[in-house]
Amino acid sequence: MLRRLSVVVLVLFACHTSARRHENPPAQRIVSLLPSFTELLFAIGAGDRVVGRTQWCDYPPAALSIPSVGDGLPPNIEAVMARRPDLVVLYNAGPNVTAAKQLERAGIQTVLIDLNRLEDLGPAARTLGRLTGREEQAESLAIALDSLAGRPPPPATTSLAFVVWDNPPIIIGHGSYLDQLATQAGARNVFGDIAAPSAQVSLETIVARDPQWIAVLSDSTVPPAFAKRREWRAVRAVRAGHFLLLPGSLFGRPGPRSGNAIQQLRARLAR
Amino acid sequence: MKWTLLVILAVLALALSVVLGPAAVPLGELLRSDIVWNLRAPRALLAFLVGGSLGVAGAGLQALVRNPLADPFLLGLSGGAGLGAVIAIALHLSGPWALPIAAFIGALAALGLVYRLGLIGGASLDPRILLLGGVAIGAFAAAITTAIVSLADAAELRNAFLWLWGGLSGASWDSVLLVALYAPIPLVVLLAASRPLDLLALGEEPAQYLGADVERVKRRVYLAASLLTAAAVAVSGVIGFIGLVVPHIARLTWGHRHRSLLPAAFLGGGALLAFADTLARTVVAPRELPVGVVTALIGVPVFAFLLKRWTIA
Amino acid sequence: MDDRVILALDKVRYRYPGASHDALDGVSLSVGLGQFHAVLGPNGSGKTTLVRIALGALTPLVGRADIDRRPASMWSRQDLAKLVGVVPQREDNLFPQRVRETVLLGRYPHLSLWGRERAEDHDAVDRALGACDVAHLADRWLWTLSGGEYQRVRVARALAQEPKLLVLDEPGMSLDLKHEMGLFELVLGLVREQGLGVLMITHDLNLAARFADSLLLLEGGRPVAAGAPNDVLTQQTVETVFSWPVAMQTVDGRPQMIPLRQPKESRA
Repeated sequence: MLRRLSVVVLVLFACHTSARRHENPPAQRIVSLLPSFTELLFAIGAGDRVVGRTQWCDYPPAALSIPSVGDGLPPNIEAVMARRPDLVVLYNAGPNVTAAKQLERAGIQTVLIDLNRLEDLGPAARTLGRLTGREEQAESLAIALDSLAGRPPPPATTSLAFVVWDNPPIIIGHGSYLDQLATQAGARNVFGDIAAPSAQVSLETIVARDPQWIAVLSDSTVPPAFAKRREWRAVRAVRAGHFLLLPGSLFGRPGPRSGNAIQQLRARLAR
Repeated sequence: MKWTLLVILAVLALALSVVLGPAAVPLGELLRSDIVWNLRAPRALLAFLVGGSLGVAGAGLQALVRNPLADPFLLGLSGGAGLGAVIAIALHLSGPWALPIAAFIGALAALGLVYRLGLIGGASLDPRILLLGGVAIGAFAAAITTAIVSLADAAELRNAFLWLWGGLSGASWDSVLLVALYAPIPLVVLLAASRPLDLLALGEEPAQYLGADVERVKRRVYLAASLLTAAAVAVSGVIGFIGLVVPHIARLTWGHRHRSLLPAAFLGGGALLAFADTLARTVVAPRELPVGVVTALIGVPVFAFLLKRWTIA
Repeated sequence: MDDRVILALDKVRYRYPGASHDALDGVSLSVGLGQFHAVLGPNGSGKTTLVRIALGALTPLVGRADIDRRPASMWSRQDLAKLVGVVPQREDNLFPQRVRETVLLGRYPHLSLWGRERAEDHDAVDRALGACDVAHLADRWLWTLSGGEYQRVRVARALAQEPKLLVLDEPGMSLDLKHEMGLFELVLGLVREQGLGVLMITHDLNLAARFADSLLLLEGGRPVAAGAPNDVLTQQTVETVFSWPVAMQTVDGRPQMIPLRQPKESRA
């Protein structure tokens, strides 16, 4: 009887420790499949352990010397495995879930992290801190990010619409991080009533809601091509040339630089 | 009588397009409204022109290939247009007209290839090969398009597929003028071929013995229908079902004489697309559905009903 | 009666592209107004090819094919259709039509590009319907007609063209006795009363012999015999061309052939 009991206890103990062993040793070879995660990893001092990144991961500059494993949409399993990682960090969405399962089957630890809005940044930082054994650094970053997310937005002094595509017109709605960016910078998203992250709308709706600014994720300094199209010139902001051309690297992704992005946006709107 | 009704229907569809929309424009302000003049009016007209063109092209094509299931988008043109558009985006071609021009060129390239295929058996254009060739070239173009999308800058190109799904968002007085100047020529060519098309329904040999210059008619009808479709795709993406279903609906009332069928298909197609576009703009306001989705949703039940009637007959 | 020659083939030779042998070789034929010509022969003897050559759909490699003294291939389709009415072997029926509509198609060669149908066109349709005894079917859908009625409607359509020459390719195929006889009587009546020239391809030797003025017998693309039925359809000729023993009889002064049964022992 006692022998049987001790066997059970031993088995349970072994399972428990093996589970903990999964979490315990900090990851040494990390493949990051989202630019935001790459930035976070560098920000918590684990950048030297990143051995693979997507081609879009361009910040900080040190990240550019890390080998790319493709565009990550969906992840190229072979390329990822070729980096011999012990941890792969993925954005929690459809095709990535499948990719994560494949990697787990190959014996590689994966983690799927939600990162849609500002409030997801703190928890993401903490998760990465825990996985890399950099809990302290992650915690201080997370506190700063949490307070950024929790900050009450300033009163809106202007309005904008974020245009992702022109034909058909696709705008950013409330579910997107960009909407938060705008709100925190003191600009009301005229399409904030749409819950989805993005949606196709009629051009006449944009005209009717009359945003003061048209924001576009663009690395260029000239207004987008659709500004010259006759039907878009029915929008007052287009006629007046009120475009906010926001480089994608800084403004397009939630990350440690989000506070910086909000500040810059606020400054641009003030001009 | 039936013509009066059709014209009333067309006018009604246009009126609804102008009066209804996601932006609330009170009736009293309609005439002064910027939105109505610069956006809704050209969009309504463009919808009418495109829908009418597709209806006529579909009717002509069904007579040409002697297959009532033919749709202008079986010709491979949509595949070519999509490929052209995607190449334009991948190469970062700038300019407000880059996409429509590239799509038009892509459609023409597909047209040329399918035409060449259609002549493979000799100097006579074989309608069956046109159909098969159209499907093949369309699939080929679609495959290359997918390859480009997966290799190049992903996000923008995925939005290009939304464009391909069909939309009149790009409507302005510029595009209306363009189509209004371009479309009449192929439309007139098709209308002039009305009698030979009636004869073609008997078969190529009997049509020839009844006085039709069959080879010339086939070439002209194919080119005219294709040119109309290419312009439609360039300006508004792929809007399916109109070219397939409107000729059949028109035949129910007007019969098979193309002299009356083609104008009826024009008015009917125009009314249908204008109406579908109004639905696309208002049903999920402030969001908008791709109009190709609306025409498919309307078209499929109508098509099923027609099939049932057809098999009974 | 005007007996000008409407259709004349002179020593025509033709081979389809890529074929291993000639479809026609050395074929001559002449059809005048008020004459009923029949072309006979076993399957594959070139009868349909002959029709196509006669109507300019194919150009002979050697020899001439003239319609009204002009080469057939020089005629525009529309002008030719005003002179020659054709009832081909097959036609599609893609969309349902009524009798009057389909006969009206025969008026198309006479209509101008944008012009509407005139009173004279409708009169021609009525006359054609009457001549073929299908006027009572004018508003019926084609798919409701019997085979015999449908054939008469097709002849009416060809008549609506107001041609001088009528060409029929195996019109009696798949018709029952009554309807086939009726068809031949109709055609003969058109020849005698309206002075049309008729060229008919048929496999029915007996009816051709009874009704036609002149026969052309083809075998393997070559003419075997031509002329009056009595001269063409002799027992020896028929047995040779059709490879079957027959007995010949005379009815109404015309030769009729009766196929004999082959006894088991003598079958080669």
